[in-house]
This record gives sequence, C-alpha cells and structure tokens, in this order.
Amino acid sequence: MDSWVIAMMLGASIFLGGIALAAFLWGIKNGQFDDETKMMNQVQYDDERELNDAANQQRKQEAAKKEYRPE
Amino acid sequence: MSKVKCDHCHLEFSDEVMIHDGEYRFCCNGCRGIFHLLKDEGLESFYSKMGDTTLSPPSEQFEASSNFDTPAFSERFVTLSKEGLNQVSLVIEGIHCAACVWLNEKALHKMEGVIEAHINYTNNKARITWNPAVVKLSAIIDMIRAIGYNAFPYDASLQEVRANKERKEYYLRMAVATFATMNMMWIAVAQYAGYFTGITQEIKTILNVAEWFLATPVLFYSGWVFYRGAYYGLKNRSVTMDLLVVTGSSLAYLYSIYITLLEKGEAYFDSVAMIITFVLFGKFLEVLSRKNAADTLDVIGKHIPREVSIVEGDTIRSVDVNEVKEGDVIVIRSGERSAIDGEVISGEGSFDESNLTGESEPIFKRMGDKIISGTTSIDALIHYRATKDFAHSTLSHLVNLLENAMAQKPSIEQLANRLSQHFSSTILFLAIATFWVWYFWPHSFDRSLMVGISVIIIACPCALALATPVATLVGLALGAKRGILFKSAAQIETMASSSMVVLDKTGTITQGRPEVIYATIHHPFEKGALYTLVSSSKHPISRGVMEYLERTEEQMGTAAIEEAREIPARGMVGRVSGVMIAGGNALLMQELGIEVDSASDKSLFYYAVDHQLAAVYELRDLPKEKAQESIAALKRLNLRVVMLTGDHEAAALRVAHEVGIEEVHAHLTPEGKAAFIDQAHAEGHIVVMAGDGVNDLLALACADIAIAMGNGSDIAIEVSDVVLMNDSLVSLAEAFAISRKTYGLIKQNLGISLVYNSITIPLAMMGYVIPLIAAISMSFSSLLVVGNSMRVRWLYKLRR
Repeated sequence: MDSWVIAMMLGASIFLGGIALAAFLWGIKNGQFDDETKMMNQVQYDDERELNDAANQQRKQEAAKKEYRPE
Repeated sequence: MSKVKCDHCHLEFSDEVMIHDGEYRFCCNGCRGIFHLLKDEGLESFYSKMGDTTLSPPSEQFEASSNFDTPAFSERFVTLSKEGLNQVSLVIEGIHCAACVWLNEKALHKMEGVIEAHINYTNNKARITWNPAVVKLSAIIDMIRAIGYNAFPYDASLQEVRANKERKEYYLRMAVATFATMNMMWIAVAQYAGYFTGITQEIKTILNVAEWFLATPVLFYSGWVFYRGAYYGLKNRSVTMDLLVVTGSSLAYLYSIYITLLEKGEAYFDSVAMIITFVLFGKFLEVLSRKNAADTLDVIGKHIPREVSIVEGDTIRSVDVNEVKEGDVIVIRSGERSAIDGEVISGEGSFDESNLTGESEPIFKRMGDKIISGTTSIDALIHYRATKDFAHSTLSHLVNLLENAMAQKPSIEQLANRLSQHFSSTILFLAIATFWVWYFWPHSFDRSLMVGISVIIIACPCALALATPVATLVGLALGAKRGILFKSAAQIETMASSSMVVLDKTGTITQGRPEVIYATIHHPFEKGALYTLVSSSKHPISRGVMEYLERTEEQMGTAAIEEAREIPARGMVGRVSGVMIAGGNALLMQELGIEVDSASDKSLFYYAVDHQLAAVYELRDLPKEKAQESIAALKRLNLRVVMLTGDHEAAALRVAHEVGIEEVHAHLTPEGKAAFIDQAHAEGHIVVMAGDGVNDLLALACADIAIAMGNGSDIAIEVSDVVLMNDSLVSLAEAFAISRKTYGLIKQNLGISLVYNSITIPLAMMGYVIPLIAAISMSFSSLLVVGNSMRVRWLYKLRR
C-alpha cells in the first residue's frame, strides 16, 4: 500500500520533469537558443506592433509557400 | 564650440560642420538619407531602440549590386529552399547593436517578395529567402545598403551547416543525459540509504524500475554516439574508448534489468547513466573547441576583388573578374587591389607588394613592369594589359594552393586517444579473465558475471575522457587572459610537442613600418611645414617621418602649404609663403638639382627648403620591443628558431643579428616559405609558424601550428590556430610555455586516472565492488582530475 504512494510520486515527478525537458528540447530544435545575444535582447521587441508585424510576416510566408510554383 | 550629435549615427561633431535640416542635424548626406528613409518607412523607432550606441557613417563606395543577379553569382551562392524559393547567406557589415538587427529584419520584411530574413546577431550572418519572380537579389542588397549597412555573400558550405548540426545534436543529447542522471541521483540516494538501513524488496523494485525508465533514453539516445563510434572503430579493426564505454554500460544495463526482474541483488542503472553523461560531457567539450574551417575560406573570398575596370576604346566599364580575357586593358586607381596579373602599358606609380613578398617598401612601377595580382596601388593610376586570366593569376593560384593545404593539414593524434586504445583492450581482457576465473573457482554464473561487469564499470573511463578536455580548457582560459587565443583545444598538445618555430620578419619580428632612427639637420628649418607636408601623404615613409616629428617636437604648428602635390615614387613638393619646399627620396632631389649622397642601405628621406638640403632622415623597420629576450626564451625551450622573409638578404641578416637568430632564409616567395616548412616536416620536425601577412598564408596553412599576430591581415588570422592579440613576441614565448604546461597537465591527469584504476580494478576483481562504491569512485576520480587541472591556474601565477 505505502509502496504505491512512492511509485505514484516517482511517476508524477518524472512525468512533470519530462514535460519540462520536452519543452527545452523543442526550444533547442527550434533554434531559439542559437543566437545567445539576440535572444537576450528579444525582450525589448515584444510590444503590440512587433506581434502584428510577426503575424503579418507569417501570413506572407505561408501565402508565398502556397502560391509559388517554380517552373 | 559645442558638440552636437548627428541624428542618425549619434557621433558627435561641432555644430558648424553639421548639415542643418530643419530641427535635425546630420554629419553627412549619407546619414541624412538614411534618416529620412527610415522615417518614410515608419521605422524611426529604431533610434529609440538603439540607446547609446553609435553607428559608423555609411560608406558610399559599393560594388555594383547588379553583380548579385548574374548567373555566375547565383550558381555559387544561391540555393533553393524546400519550397523552391531562393535562399542566400550573407554577412552583414555594420551591425553594432540589437536595434541594427531589428532594423535590417524589419526593412527586409517590408519588401514585397522577401519571404524570410533571419539575422544572427552573434556572427552577423544573415539567411534570406526570397521569391525571385517578385524581387531581385540586387534590390534586396540595395535596401540593406540604403539603410546604412553593407552585405557580402558567403558560401554557407555544407561543412558549416554540418558543424552546427553536430553541435545542436550534442546539446540535445546532453540535455537528456543530464536530466535523467540528475533525477537518478536522488533515487540512488534512497537506494543507498536502503542498502545500509534495510529496505523491502518491493520498494527496491519500484526504485529499480524508475531508474530503468530513466536510464533507457540515456543509454540509447545520449549514448548513441558511443555505439556509432564503437561500430566504426571495430570496422577499422581498432579497440576504441567508445567500445569500452559501450560494452561496460550495455552489459551493466542488461545485468541490471536481469536483477530488477529477478528481484535480487543490486542494480547498476545509476552507473550506466553516469558513465554516459560524464564521457559525453568530455566529448562535448571537444566538439565545442573544434575549429570551423568553413569560415576561413569565406573571409579569403572577401579579400579578392570581384570586379575590375577595363578600358574599351574610350569607355571604362566594370566587369566581373571571371570575364576578363588575356589582352584586356585594365585600369587600376590608387587604393585599389589588383585581381589579375599583367604588364603596365601606361602610367606609373608605387605599389604595395608587402602582401605577397613581405617587402616593406613600396615598389615603383612604370611601363613594361609586371603587375602581380593581390598587390595594392598606393598612388598609381595605371593602365595595364592582362597577361593571364583570373583563374591563372597569382592571387587565385594562391587561394587554390591554400585550400589544398588546409584540406591536407597534418593532424597529430592526441595522447589520450593513443592511450585509450591500450587501456580499453586491457580492461576488456581483464574483465573477461575475471569472469572465467570466478566461474571456474566455483561461483554461480550470476555472481561471476556481476564481478566481471563491475571491473568494466569501475575502470570507468570517465576520468580518462575528462583528462584532456578539462586540462585544455584551463589552458585556453589561461592563454585568453594573456591575449593568446588558441582556436582549437587540440592544438595545445601539438604546440607543446613542436620542435621548431619559424618566424616571418616583417610584422612579426619587426614592427612592420619604417621608423626614423637618425636625423641629420643641415639647416634649421620650420618643422611645422615639414609636418604638414608629410601628413598629407599615406606613404609609409612619410608616416614614419610624421610619427617621428610628433614624438620629438613639442610645439609644432601647422603651415599653410600652397600648390602641394605628390609626385609618384619621388615625394611631395609644395610652397610655403612663396618658398618652395620638397620632401622625398634621392631621385626627387636630383630632379630638383640638389646633390645628395644616397649611399645607404636604409631608406632615406630628404627635405629641402628653397632648393637647399635642410635635413636627412634615416628610416628603417625596427624589431619589436623585447624581441631579443623572447627569442632567447624560445631557444631556452629547446626550439630551433628560423627566420623566413621575402625581403632581401642584407635587411634580413641585420634584423636577425639584432634579435639573435642564426638561421635565416631570405628572398623567399610565398611558395618558397611553404616549401621550407614541408622540408622541415620531411626532416621530422613539428613546425610552428608565426606570421602576419598574406605572403605568409601558404606557409601558415602548411605548418602544424599557425600563429598570427592580432593586427595582421584578417586572412592570416583566419588561417591560423593561435592568435596573439597584443602582437608581441613575449606572448609567443608565453604561448609555448602555456601549451607545454597544459600538456604536462594532461599527462598528469592521465596518470592520475591510471593510478586510480590500478587501485580500484584489483578490488573489483576480488569482488568487493557494490554499486555505491562504483558511483563514488566514478565521481571521485573525475573530481580528482578536475581539481588537478584547476591547480595549474595558481601554479602558473606563483611562478610568474
């Protein structure tokens, strides 16, 4: 009976840690840590206009990818 | 006079010289143009983001951007993305702050057809994806230039991409291994506590299963590199450290699963994870400090002019270097670098050939003389006929040789690698022997297997794997503090075992610029006039005289010189309040009708006032400070010191004599220098070469260790393995001292881990090792190695 408590706690904590690890790995793969200097400065550029610009840029990219057909 | 900030670049100037534009002030039209452009585009928030940084005012001379649209260019630099869009890698010049990155990305994103612009702030490299149907690359480049930056392409070759990918892969593996190992440690604490105070088998099994769960990704994901290494090692019929790591950890893993399922004995999962993590960490340090050869060739490419001006009838037109044919007439103006070999057909002037020959004094060229590609015109406007096309010219020939030399650079196997082969086979043999002895002595199969495995685990290669990287890291840090940058950790070992050091003369032993050593004043004259005269010229001799006057004269005004002009390869003449003044070489004096005695092996600068000789300055290239002591220090390290130079024999011997070098080879071409180094290799020497110029490049690339001076040419710095930031020969001697010290440290570390093993392995063979001891011993031996490496830091301090 007691041992199930230990097993459950072990499982839960490893699971939570695993989520954090997965997020970190996702960040590395995504290139978020590639440019340490830029990353540190990124906080300066997150007002509303920047977000709008980023969203527009993404839309533009997707549109280009869909439309573009190389001959 | 009050200083005012330019509204674009934020540099301060006095108010009078500024361009007034309403409420704004600009230092130049370039800044004004950019300011208004940013305002129109709605990007003026750049200035608030930029903070206190200042920018450099924009340059106005650019290569025509239409070159970026040529097929030759796109073949070399443009790649296709997955979606079939064009991609190019650029290096952006002029990035000072995060706001600059922001501005470039925003400005490019605003352009129609630019799909993605990603700029790396750390190395200023940009990757741009665009739709060639909508926008041309030249328009993109023009935009970058319009906002005050410049861009040049670089070949993002596979090599660089691969190196980055490898590094990233290691990050991922390290993250998983560290996470799992740290979690296993607290589970292990429970295990060990249970071992001493008693624990029910049920709880023990739960802990074992949790450890099993955590150890699996460490072994198979993080440890994958070792499986790969062991496989390739076996394929080449060699026993590597990887094989030892793999057998040890895999056996321990399988055994622990067996223990867990049978619910008896102790599991070794924590040891498995620890071995992999420690050794992976050592490997990771190695990957981090590996030199990236890909970057080197990009910088070389930047130094080759990509276009030249050719004369066709009455018009001058710039064309791509590759389009120039033999017989074309090329114009070269002052300050330009020639890209193609040829022969002068009209005009005359001085050329700086120090790049290729190392000769410190400019060479005067006139009709019929040869122009060598890679040399720079100082004051000449010359028309010359190409005698070779670009691919066969000296400069590209040199670059080709360089590429070959870099690809074939000899690599000397590291001590730890050599050692680990023997170590690994011995341990594997001992483990198998132990198993059989126990099995036939009669013990149960389980017990014998466990003892055999414990031998491999305790012989843990952790300390061995950490010995080299930790010691070299300490060495790197020590060097960096003294302005000695080792680019790659492995070079420290090679440098420590070198037996010969080859030095270039100009710029390495000497200061690389002429200095006044003696002044003869025939008639007193006003120094201010001479000062003004010489400061108008960029010629190295004039610079030398100018610096001398600045040093020796305390109060010196300037004089208004009328009709000042420079006579190529002779000197300068002018007029001060009606009196004619002239400064230059013997040729100028003779033409002015002044008799001078020009018999000297040094460079002489004559100064005449009103057709009468007033002063003679003797100049020459002096050795650097403390050159003699440093050469002596190198000799004390039992190094064979050799001086190579492209300069003539007399000058070489004099410098060699002054600094105390006996072996001198003068009058060498760049290829000659490289040949000398190859010959030294053939004699069995490990050669260190120190140089600073383009003329040393080939030799630098051939040498085992290349050392560049911090103010040498960019290319020399790129090609080299070690950079001496303060340019002094003292650092050179220090670099040798540090590398030998570090190498000693590596040997000590390897010794420690071997001694450690010779104590623990017999214990394991006798069957005394339980998981707790294995884990403690692993950490302890690693700590010993790290601790020993740290010790050197203060040892070095004490000795100084």
